[in-house]
Order: sequence, then structure tokens, then C-alpha cells
Amino acid sequence: MERIQTIFAIFLDTWPGFLEAVVITLELTAVSVVLGTLLGLIFALMKISKSKIFQGIANFYITVIRGTPLIVQIMFLYFGITEIVVLDAFWAGSIALGVHNGAYIAEIFRGAIQGIDYGQTEASRALGMTNSQTMRRIVFPQALRRSIPPLGNQFIITLKDSSLVYLIGVSELFAIATREAAASFKQFETYIVVGAYYLALVLIFSYLLKWYENRLDVDKA
Amino acid sequence: MITGEDIHKSFGDLEVLKGIDLHVEPQEVVVLVGVSGSGKSTLLRCFNFLEMINSGKIIIDGKEINPKKDNLSEIRAEVGMVFQHFNLFPHKTVLENVMEAPVVVKKEKKEIAQKKGLELLDKVGLGDKADVYPSKLSGGQKQRVAIARALAMEPKVLLFDEPTSALDPELVGEVLQVMKQLAEEGMTMVVVTHEMSFAREVADRVIMLDKGRIIESADPVTFFENPSHERTKQFIQMVK
Repeated sequence: MERIQTIFAIFLDTWPGFLEAVVITLELTAVSVVLGTLLGLIFALMKISKSKIFQGIANFYITVIRGTPLIVQIMFLYFGITEIVVLDAFWAGSIALGVHNGAYIAEIFRGAIQGIDYGQTEASRALGMTNSQTMRRIVFPQALRRSIPPLGNQFIITLKDSSLVYLIGVSELFAIATREAAASFKQFETYIVVGAYYLALVLIFSYLLKWYENRLDVDKA
Repeated sequence: MITGEDIHKSFGDLEVLKGIDLHVEPQEVVVLVGVSGSGKSTLLRCFNFLEMINSGKIIIDGKEINPKKDNLSEIRAEVGMVFQHFNLFPHKTVLENVMEAPVVVKKEKKEIAQKKGLELLDKVGLGDKADVYPSKLSGGQKQRVAIARALAMEPKVLLFDEPTSALDPELVGEVLQVMKQLAEEGMTMVVVTHEMSFAREVADRVIMLDKGRIIESADPVTFFENPSHERTKQFIQMVK
């Protein structure tokens, strides 16, 4: 009982700071989702292209990213990039998360594109459309629609993974939690509070995603 | 209008077309028949370069096509194709399906493509379905939209690859009716089908393929009443 009161007390004490951190977490997530989607699209197209060189580059990227821990990638990028250009921790973290996501999103897009019935491509070609017109206007719009559920899933993972960039000093949600916990000595209660913040964000996002998916279904099922 | 000379096509070790010579006159309706695996669909697909021939010539409207040099998209735009499984674009409305190629390939103005699209949909009896998505249509309606979509490009030849094979029996008639009307209007057509009534009624020429070769080519009356080849007789017995 006492613990529950403590949790509430901590929540009431810390919410202004946490709310600021929520904004940073959302910004991190948004930047890395946009970057990841862009990279994912580029590498998916490279992987399904006829060029062996493009395929090789895409395979290398996907294999390396999926085969190493995110935390290693964050450190590698942060210390690697900042040796070359001046970049603050927020951008280094966003880029690391984006590059990480790109590999997974590339596989989502590739699977969705290859899952579209080949008859769609044949019908487009038979009408005189070029390969790029076929991809842009016929295959990709359908693949994108199919990618939405797994993409949403990936975005949720990104939101949670963004907590790892506290290690390079970004003042996002988890970083604030560690500071609050250290200051108040209430470790357990503080991490429950921050857990609740993440859970709330994920639930809101899942709800929005469901709503969007349903709307798409109603339109064109 | 469209001519194949000594067409050979193999898939790996399997030779599917073993030297096909076929000349289709303007406004002619040619029906290709044969058991499955005889190569009739493959031949059709070679005519619009969905399959590449291994050797031989394809001549469209007097021009020999060199698939390595010529722009295949431009050639395909002049040779329409209707597929067994319709292959409508599910993310586009019926009218958008019909307008897509004229707008994207021919760079037609949207208003013009829309007007022509609606006329074509009226022609296939689906003017009232312009704004629905293909998933809401029956198989027969889908295939009629697919025909309108092919016609929108004003092709010189229209190829039909078993257009009624995926349809419930009661829906076959409406599609054949549209095809018959096209034939009467003078469209050059090459049709792969198992609908012998269509071959009898509409075809100018019926051609029998067997193991990658043309073994019979005759007007429908001769083809069905007095075929010369033993395999053709067996086939006609079989489909009766």
C-alpha cells in the first residue's frame, strides 16, 4: 500500500520532467522511423533489383545490422560519426536507430512486394507500362498497404528501443528515469512509473494503428 | 496484323513451342485450342513478349520486333491482353483500372481518359460500376472490366488467355457475349479457350496445338465437322 502511494507521489513529483522527456522520445522515434522507412525502401528495392552489386550491398547491410546488437550500433555510430562531423547525441542516436530500423523495414517491404501476385506485374506490362511505372503505381501501393501492420509493429519496437540512446546522453524518457531514480533512491517505484509511460505510448500508438487499418479495410476491401 | 514465324520456346530442357508459324489477318478472329500443356497459352504470351522466344520472328503490323533493341513497353501497348485471372488492380476503382494505362502510358488527359473509360464501361455493360472497387464485382464483371481496360489502349490486336476458365458456369456467357460483340466490330483477336461454342460461332479460324506444334488450322465448320488430324478428332470428341 505504502509502495503504491510512493509510486503516485513520484508520478506527481516528476511528471513535468517526464513529459518533456516523452517529447524527446517521440522525436527520436519519429526521426528514426522516417529515416528507417526511407532506408528500408531503398534497400528493399536494391535487394529485389536484378543487379548483383545492389543485391550484395543490400544483403551486406541487412546481415550486419540484424547480426549485431543495437547497443553496439549506437555506440559505433555515435563515436564513429562524431569523429568525422560534429553531431549532437540526439541526431547520432536518431541516425543509429534509423539505420537499425532500415534493415528490418527493408525485409518488411521486400516480403510485401514479393507477396503481390505476379499477375499484377504481367497485367501492367501487357498494358505497356514500364518496370518503374509498374512498381510505383501498381505493385508498391499494394505492398505498402500490406506492410502497414508489420511496419506498425516495427515502429512500436523503435519507440521502446529508443530508450537505449540514454547511454550516449540523450535526455529521453529512460534517461530521465535513471536520474530521478538515482536522486530519490526509489529505484523500483521510478521504473514502474517510466514503464507506465512507455506502455501508455505504445497503447495509444497501437490504437491509432488499428483505427487506420480498419479505415483502409472499409475503403477498399 | 500479327505474325509468328518458326517460333521456338523452351523452359529449361522442356521445349514448349517447336516451330510455330501463325499469321493473323487484320479483323480476323483466331481461336487456339489444345489440351493443357500443348503450348497455346505460351504462344499467346510470346506475342506480347511476356515470354521471350528462343528463336523465330514476331512481326506486328508489318514490323519485325527485336526484343533486345525495341522498346517492349511500346509494343505491348499495342497488343492488348486479357488474362484468365483478370488481374485487375485491386487498389483502384473500376474506372481507375480502365484509365490507368491511357493516362500513364499514353499520357492522355485525365478528363479524356475518364470520358473514354466510361464509354468503354458502358460498352461492356458496367457503366454503373465505375466507382466501385474490383473486389465488389463478380468474376464475369471483373473479366468485362479487364476487357474494357485492354480496349482503353486501343490495341491493334487483343489476346485472350482462357478468359472464361476461372468463371462460374453461369457467368461465362456475359463475357463471351462481349467478346463476340468485339469480333463483330472487327477487332483482331487471338483467343485461347475451351469454349467450343465460341470457336464455332465466332472464330474465322480454329487452330489446334499439340505438343508445341500446329496440327490443324481450318475454318470452324471444317475444323469441327471434318478435321484432318487424328489428334484433333480425339480432342473434339473429348470436349463434346
